[in-house]
Amino acid sequence: MTIKTVEAMLPGVIYLSPSPDTPPFKAAGDRVAAGETVALVEVMKSFLPVEADSDGTFLGYSTETGSNIEPGEAVCRIEVAQ
Amino acid sequence: MNARCITVLKPGLETTVQELPGRIGYLEQGFPVSGPFDKWSFRQANLLAGNPRDTAALECQFLGPTLRFDCDATVAVTGADMRPKLDGEPAAMWRSLPVRAGQVLELAAAYSGARGYVAVSGGIDTPVVLGSRAVFHMARVGGQALARDQVLPLGPPPSGAGDILAVPEASRPPFSTDKTWQIEALAGPNDDWLDPASVEMFFSADWSVQAKSNRTGIRLSGPQFAFAGRALDKSSDHGQDPSNIIDHGYPLGAVNLAGQTPIILVNDAPSTGGFINPFTVASAAFWKLAQAKPGDVLRFRRIDREEAGRLRAALETVTSAGVAVRV
Repeated sequence: MTIKTVEAMLPGVIYLSPSPDTPPFKAAGDRVAAGETVALVEVMKSFLPVEADSDGTFLGYSTETGSNIEPGEAVCRIEVAQ
Repeated sequence: MNARCITVLKPGLETTVQELPGRIGYLEQGFPVSGPFDKWSFRQANLLAGNPRDTAALECQFLGPTLRFDCDATVAVTGADMRPKLDGEPAAMWRSLPVRAGQVLELAAAYSGARGYVAVSGGIDTPVVLGSRAVFHMARVGGQALARDQVLPLGPPPSGAGDILAVPEASRPPFSTDKTWQIEALAGPNDDWLDPASVEMFFSADWSVQAKSNRTGIRLSGPQFAFAGRALDKSSDHGQDPSNIIDHGYPLGAVNLAGQTPIILVNDAPSTGGFINPFTVASAAFWKLAQAKPGDVLRFRRIDREEAGRLRAALETVTSAGVAVRV
């Protein structure tokens, strides 16, 4: 097993749930599929998905909803079966 | 195929063709001037590509495009650091890059700043609409943001193209390294609608750039404004909110006060409306608004018209042909 970090792909404000009233996209222990949305980055009045790049088990977020994020900063960690 | 063109492999985030001076003369019909948000970086990119400085080029926002050159050309990348790569190898910014037909230029996300510029020898030769190639994306005037597989025609290569030039670091726009930007602004036209203490407060407070900012407006978070008597006790023609005024023209760079939210009106902004404009950002400071990211802090420095003119002249000088030197 290896732990992979999903990074923000562009700068903006990070959101960990699809809307303010809903739970986060993922919780620890959830299955994650490659291409699945794990967070949103808001910039220029648009919300862009942050997608998992591999299948695995969700371990947890590395950032807080509503915080400013830079490209390359960690969003979450996923345990990937080798 | 012998045509000079570029193919868009990945479009990036609202990447557009921009040109100077922009779409001039249609404000009364509601068309904004558009044009590059960071004129400083834009013009230096053109000079490095061997073009006249106002030639049509690409503005890349927050996430850059991937482009394939279908002809030999000279390219230059300036503005935000989007870590450009040519055929997978890191490529220098602020310098002429000779590219061969078939080569791929890939820009990543903006690691410093927000907007990068890509100029190509001959310029982007998209159709002129109402006098300009500048794209007003929101209304699809002059085209729209780049799309995957789009082919961008290029103009004929300029004479003397092929020289390798660079802009020395001292002549490049000085990007903030601490996420704060000093923005030169003038009081007016409607500063007399605010309580005088709030005018002073505007020039001393920290204003945070919201993620809801784009080429229309830079939306700010900060302290609350108090209004002057004329805003609080006025004819109903002016509207109900203290920040309402009977519809009037908006200057480019106006700090437009909608309720308690200041929105700096920039290149793609509306030309009229019913909110007051207590302050106006100097045109020479626009490039800093273009490069500020969400969460960055703006601090406004009060200047007068004379100083605004001097700053404008200094920007003209540093974006003139001699600034790009042979290497």
